[in-house]
Amino acid sequence: MTAITRRSRVLGPLVVVALVVAACGGDTGETTTTAGEATTTAAEATTTAAETTTSAAAETTTSAAGGEAVEITGDGAITATFLPKCTNIAVFPQANSGAEEAAAELGSDPAEFVGPADCGDSTGQIEFMTNAVTQGVQAIMLSNNSGDQLDAPAQAAADAGIPVVTWDSPIPSATGESVFVAQVDFDETGQVMAEMARTILGDDGGEFAILSATPDAANQNAWIAAMEEVLATPEFENLVLVETVYGNDVAEDSVTAALGLVDSHPGLELIMAPTTVGIVAAAQAMEQEGLCETIKVSGLGLPEEMAPYVESGCAPEFALWSFVDLGYLAYYVAYGIATEQIVAEEGAAFVAGRMGEYEITADPTREAGLRVLMGPFSKYNAENPGT
Amino acid sequence: MRDWATKHRWEAILIVVLAATIVVNVALSPFYLGFGNFVNLFWLSIEKIIVVVVMTFVIINGEIDLSVASVMGFSAAVTATLYNGDVVPFAVAILIGIAAGAIAGLLQGLVITRFGLPSLVVTLAGLIGFRGAARVLLEDRSVGDFPEWFERIGQQTLVGPFPIALVLFFVGLVVAWVILERSAFGRKVYVIGNSADVARFSGIEVNSVKLRLFVASGTVAGLAGILFAARVGAVQGTLGETYELDIITMVLLGGVSIFGGSGSMLGVVLALFTVLNIRNGLGLANIDGIIQTGVIGLLLIGSVLVPNLARRYRLRRPAPASPASGAIAPGPP
Repeated sequence: MTAITRRSRVLGPLVVVALVVAACGGDTGETTTTAGEATTTAAEATTTAAETTTSAAAETTTSAAGGEAVEITGDGAITATFLPKCTNIAVFPQANSGAEEAAAELGSDPAEFVGPADCGDSTGQIEFMTNAVTQGVQAIMLSNNSGDQLDAPAQAAADAGIPVVTWDSPIPSATGESVFVAQVDFDETGQVMAEMARTILGDDGGEFAILSATPDAANQNAWIAAMEEVLATPEFENLVLVETVYGNDVAEDSVTAALGLVDSHPGLELIMAPTTVGIVAAAQAMEQEGLCETIKVSGLGLPEEMAPYVESGCAPEFALWSFVDLGYLAYYVAYGIATEQIVAEEGAAFVAGRMGEYEITADPTREAGLRVLMGPFSKYNAENPGT
Repeated sequence: MRDWATKHRWEAILIVVLAATIVVNVALSPFYLGFGNFVNLFWLSIEKIIVVVVMTFVIINGEIDLSVASVMGFSAAVTATLYNGDVVPFAVAILIGIAAGAIAGLLQGLVITRFGLPSLVVTLAGLIGFRGAARVLLEDRSVGDFPEWFERIGQQTLVGPFPIALVLFFVGLVVAWVILERSAFGRKVYVIGNSADVARFSGIEVNSVKLRLFVASGTVAGLAGILFAARVGAVQGTLGETYELDIITMVLLGGVSIFGGSGSMLGVVLALFTVLNIRNGLGLANIDGIIQTGVIGLLLIGSVLVPNLARRYRLRRPAPASPASGAIAPGPP
């Protein structure tokens, strides 16, 4: 036996094992430069309601056009799919627990909670949408992570008579979508982020950067666009947005992206992360590098994950809404449409269990599509740690 | 029948595994058996399985091409960049994108044949380099809003219920089978995979065959990248990332020796059916993607381990049976 044979016998299986191991690892993408395609149009977000934490939205206004609000009640069990951006980020199981609570109240079965394991996987949702249609579920609740890439499978769902209720992140073109359950007003998110930036940077302002999720995330893109609108107003002229980078909602990628910002912008004073993954990663990176004194972190974060950084001063203030409530409301809406208690059209008003009355309106933040607005925002800081 | 099974031991095992998968799937999900689902099952992985066909040639030839997924991303990125820049008509941009894939394959093939470097290393560099190029071209952007006819290519059906890419795959499969197992070129691929030296002494133009395979691999990967863009309607620099692993998995599971020289198109097709059916069945049963990957990983390790263990067992025992061509067992040096 020659040496070559012996070596290749060892090498072969090794290569195979290495491939398998590599397949299980996450992807580490380098992240640079600016702006994904912004999916929203205009915002007249210039109100300075400032310190208030309540959504400006019509949370409990009675519908003018649609007449009496329909109370959504239990009408048998339905099968449904609850499809998050990915399953490994804390907020999505939280949203699902809200959906389970709603299902139990309505005497329905819990929706199947399935999705890509990794939020960096921007095409993974296509397969889950397609499978849900094949399974003939009665409703799909989706947080879109794939930009317009879900247009075709969402349309297939609509063609099959399956309502697609988006929550957290809509389908930008609204193709195949019944209605979007918005956590907060997307323009208001831009306003709140700009205000937090101003609170932290002070009236003299300074340089800050945005660390977002994936370039295709419809919600983050809309919020960033809305924030940029607010920054363009005179009141915020001292706040300089130097760069927007993407951490793909993957912890390692986000840390890398945050450190990259520090390296490329010596004058940086704040990282604004409109994603619960990015904000923790950025705070962690700044703390490990001992940079918390000079570079603060803010954005949208989960109080329980952010508590240590509020305490250490890395993250003086951030905001969020309840994902449990969002999942709860999304399930009520999907159930109401699937059982034909409500119709997804402008002016339809309904009562969703413990959360009260809502109305379906045109979505002012997209060119097409309907919206149910949840709200409100909560701001968290040293006085209100939220835990 | 029995003869066939002894001669094609690995294919026979795969048929059993595939049958078992189908039975389990039927038991797991009432939605599995349906024509629409059968089309979806291929459609959702169409880019991968198109590349699997050409990867089969490369590995039987005793080489490997780790760069395919990056070349997919690179070709799509080239097309998307040209489309965004509005420099050339979109159809031309597509052709340039596919040509970029061919050139990527040509460059790597030249380095491998002219300098005699291992393809594992050269295409690993390609994996990194072409992915980098795709990301440099597109940065963090997602390019979409392609002309409607383009998205129709990926999403609409051509023949009956079959999308164009699916038709392309099955036609390509038949052509590939003929070339690999019924043509002189195919024989050369096997001979070189068994021993490049023997092939050289027999007057086979080894480098020319290898070069052609790498160009084919790059071209097909480029085409797959474009089809991917058409199917999902958007291109990012990360398009197809890590697909090379799934692609190589299917080829090896098909009984193609990682050392070259043996394997059959039938085995690869069976492996590909098995993997797609496992993913689809588990997906329809709402079983986690991580578990799906785990099951396929176990299958792959098993596919390398079992034939080698069996071979060792046979060698230890002075068996009367002639040594059947072990699927994964290394050929002579």
